[in-house]
Amino acid sequence: MANIVVFLCRCFGEIDNTIDFDLLRKELSKDTSVSSLSIVDSLCLETDIEKAAFKINESKADRVLIAACSILSRGNLPVNGLIKEGMERHKIGLVDIREGCAWIHNNDSDGAVKKAKDLLNMGISALQHKEKSEDMSVTVHPDALIIGAGPAGLAAAASLAKTGFKVNILERANAPGGMLRLISQLYPTGEDAANKLNPYIDEVENNPLITLYPQSKIVSIEGYVGNFTVQFASQGKDNSIQSGIIIIATGAKIFFPTGLYRYGEIRNVITQMEIERQFLKGSFDVKKTVFIQCAGARNEERPYCSTICCPASLKNAMRLAEEDPGSEVFILHRGIMTPGNVLEKYYRDALSRGIQFIRFEEERPPRIMGDDHVESVEVYDAVNGITRKIETDLVVLSTPLVPNDDNARLAQMLGIEVDRYGFLSEIYPMHPLETKMDGVLICGSARWPVASDQAILQGKAAAMKAVSYLRQSEIAASTLSRVPGPKSGHARVVPDFCTGCGNCVAACPFDACHLEKTKGRYISKVDMMRCKACGNCVSVCPNGSMQIPEHNYRMVGEMIKWAF
Amino acid sequence: MGVLESRTQIIVREVKMNQPGILVFACKWCGLIGADAAGKKRVSLPARFRVISVECAALVETDAILRALAGGIDGVAVLGCHIGGCRYTNANHASIKRFELLKDLLDTTGIGGKRLLLSFGTAHEYHQFEEIIKNFFDELAVLPPLDPWLSPFGVVS
Repeated sequence: MANIVVFLCRCFGEIDNTIDFDLLRKELSKDTSVSSLSIVDSLCLETDIEKAAFKINESKADRVLIAACSILSRGNLPVNGLIKEGMERHKIGLVDIREGCAWIHNNDSDGAVKKAKDLLNMGISALQHKEKSEDMSVTVHPDALIIGAGPAGLAAAASLAKTGFKVNILERANAPGGMLRLISQLYPTGEDAANKLNPYIDEVENNPLITLYPQSKIVSIEGYVGNFTVQFASQGKDNSIQSGIIIIATGAKIFFPTGLYRYGEIRNVITQMEIERQFLKGSFDVKKTVFIQCAGARNEERPYCSTICCPASLKNAMRLAEEDPGSEVFILHRGIMTPGNVLEKYYRDALSRGIQFIRFEEERPPRIMGDDHVESVEVYDAVNGITRKIETDLVVLSTPLVPNDDNARLAQMLGIEVDRYGFLSEIYPMHPLETKMDGVLICGSARWPVASDQAILQGKAAAMKAVSYLRQSEIAASTLSRVPGPKSGHARVVPDFCTGCGNCVAACPFDACHLEKTKGRYISKVDMMRCKACGNCVSVCPNGSMQIPEHNYRMVGEMIKWAF
Repeated sequence: MGVLESRTQIIVREVKMNQPGILVFACKWCGLIGADAAGKKRVSLPARFRVISVECAALVETDAILRALAGGIDGVAVLGCHIGGCRYTNANHASIKRFELLKDLLDTTGIGGKRLLLSFGTAHEYHQFEEIIKNFFDELAVLPPLDPWLSPFGVVS
């Protein structure tokens, strides 16, 4: 029989105005498991917590029940205070009789007393059956692995190397730089892309802490935070490295709009990337240019906005207008997307430079006229309601960035998710750059199309998040919660009862369960580094062999029994 | 007045004397926050409901709901986060499917699917919580009490 000490907090009259504590004391004195009951003024004050801790030690109680306010207001103070005094979390119960009882039933005193009595009984029965989850910890491998050597990956590598961690970078191409190598200038400053990229490339080549593996392809990724093992092939040789965390900066893919606006069919219909290549080669003379926005984006197939194409068009249009003041530049758009304080000014600059903006509708896209090369573009001006014919030499299609083809494969290997478009998705919006798997961070265009400045920013942010894992020598599974405070527990299998049906494997949102052959039969096994104690496996288990010790079925059953 | 009508009236009178009891399973991230906010605002609510806080709506076993109904609790409410907003990726989405199946089971067994209230993403705020609880009390008030001792086969558990 447990020896439970109960503390009833008066909250300076807030609670016992409504709830008669004498009646409660009378009720609880019948309970044999309650060894002592004391009424205190306010348990959230430090002096009272110390007194309570002294009393617990004196009476050699093994469990404590606190009836006070809810854990979301000040109830965590006595709980944390007692933990500081040396109690274990699962031995402390907190019953909310202020917000959950006294304050909402202050005109029904009888009901409130009955409810408080029931809540206390529920708390006592829950405490008697509460158990503690096991815990495990792993030694953190102090290396970081970055997949992709684009601007995001390079920025992350440079930041991590600056903090003193060894970094391995896997890159698909021959050389680092990613998509930034294909671009001439950057918006909105107009500086050369090479100026921005070269310091990072120098850092990668000269810093002894950074190792770059070009032409590499990942074969498999195993493990969890602190200890990932990655098998990959680099330049034809098989290789294997270990790392504490993984930063994914694989970027996105360029979209070729074959069939759209007669691209690939006639000459002089090119994409933004091709005009960038032209600029890299040198200037070229065109008198009249038409940019068409949202080519292949914001339609049914790809309903997202790629965010970078409007500023990129503005940049290239202004460059064309600047190089040849006599030239005419048109931008046909479905709404110019220039968010933020800098880009909106950029748009206004373009307007003042004499670049003409014509808005068209999705249902009536512009038509490219001409036999073997572009002669004119016919567009229905949605603002004026007239069809305009624009003589032109060159049509530039602004295409979106699309997700990489092997995103799904990478996500499957890592146990993370892709969103509905195919980009790698992070968890709940309150945790940017973090994925479902602890220690796997995403940045740059792999998660969403971003410009290089944003990619670099995200890379640095991901590096800092990585440091928070790598700086620890050991990571305990119970600390891997995404909210303040430790995890509530881990699922536990009773191996004798488990039939190996695999329901939990299918239900687990974090891929924490797997079947393992032991003693000639399959039983479920919980990976504590991945388990977040959501309890999905508990609910689908047909015979109750999967339980969360902090919230087990005995406890819930007893609580239900005492509820009324 | 027909026999049936008079009996119904007697039952309704009895029920009004014994208010129905509700067990609320509130997810720590949504339902519990709503319940807590209702307390902080000192909203006046009927006393016969008890809140059990759970980590996620997915942790609520269907067995527990059946056990509560078998034990004579008139209604069970499960309050979770909205779909796509679960702290545990898609755990609450999976649990909704289970609870909908359970509702069908309750309907076919005659207990009534109305005794199980599912609310996902609608109990964040104090007024939402208040509305849900009050409406559920009103809904249960017209149903006959689930007294375990009335069953000819004894208590089911």
